[in-house]
Amino acid sequence: MNSRGTVSNALIVCGALLLIASVASIARAAIARDAVRARWAEIEAGRAVAGARLSTSGARWSSARGTPVARVMIPRLGLDEVVVEGVGDDELRSGPGHMIGSALPGDSGTSVISAHRDRHFHALRGIAVGDTVITDSERGTISWTVSRIRVVRADDPALDARATPTLMLTTCWPIRYVGPAPDRLIVEAVPK
Amino acid sequence: MSSLGRAAFAAMLIVGAGTANGQITTVVAAPPRKTEPAQQAAAQKREQAAQDSVARVTMTGMKEWVDSASSALAIRPDTVPTTSDTALGTPRAAASPARRSDSSETVRTQEPTAEFKKGARAPDTATLIPAIALSGVALILAGVAMKRRERLARSRVRR
Repeated sequence: MNSRGTVSNALIVCGALLLIASVASIARAAIARDAVRARWAEIEAGRAVAGARLSTSGARWSSARGTPVARVMIPRLGLDEVVVEGVGDDELRSGPGHMIGSALPGDSGTSVISAHRDRHFHALRGIAVGDTVITDSERGTISWTVSRIRVVRADDPALDARATPTLMLTTCWPIRYVGPAPDRLIVEAVPK
Repeated sequence: MSSLGRAAFAAMLIVGAGTANGQITTVVAAPPRKTEPAQQAAAQKREQAAQDSVARVTMTGMKEWVDSASSALAIRPDTVPTTSDTALGTPRAAASPARRSDSSETVRTQEPTAEFKKGARAPDTATLIPAIALSGVALILAGVAMKRRERLARSRVRR
């Protein structure tokens, strides 16, 4: 085999390895997402058994990283995801992450939920002002209205602390960008 | 030595052993040192701290401290924690990491934002998976194109 043949074979093998790596990553994310959903289902079942909201029953929530803390839904876009605590790589693999230190949806203050644009928040490409967002957490079920949508640079200090309940959904922007996206999409919502 | 003499020698050894032991191992103990007033005060403080209820309260709060420290270091438990890990009504701030020195905070500001504070950047949700997948496809296509060209060149040479 000549050198050209060797190079072409090497290219094909390298390409196949990269494809396998990305498929494996997507598969791992899907498994992690299923695990989180199963955990959330357990929490929901616990709530049903208790017959009351967790905040008033004997059941307890965990705030450990990677554990489900809320559920976020945007009915118009068909988005329905379980939110886990933390926004590290491991957490964002299994679902949207609740930024540690920010308020839980429903608490007074800014609640920040972030996810990858090519996975859980892909649907945010179609979000519009006035859309309804529903969150479910230990604070109860809350309906929000999207009040503002903005695109900022990745290094902009865009998350401001508010005194009133505010929900901020963030993801990378542009949604269909190949490589590390340079901007961030921030969707702000206020309680209805 | 006669057997009587041997017996007498053995008896002397047995009887004298205790005295001899005492003579050899006796150690003259050093006079007790006078403790300095500062040392005494420090010892008293340590005793007080051990008995202090505040110190005990701090010890009971160790679980929270460990939880917060582990979240700060991004240590994930091997098993999924139960929902009873955190006390009901525990403030969310308890889950946030403990404050660190100024130098470590400076280091953290250079890392992707992972904790919320006023003026924080949006979390780093950028992912390379699409880029990796596309690169893979591009490499495969390039390899296949090269092979095809090679085949065409070979067939031309044959003709």
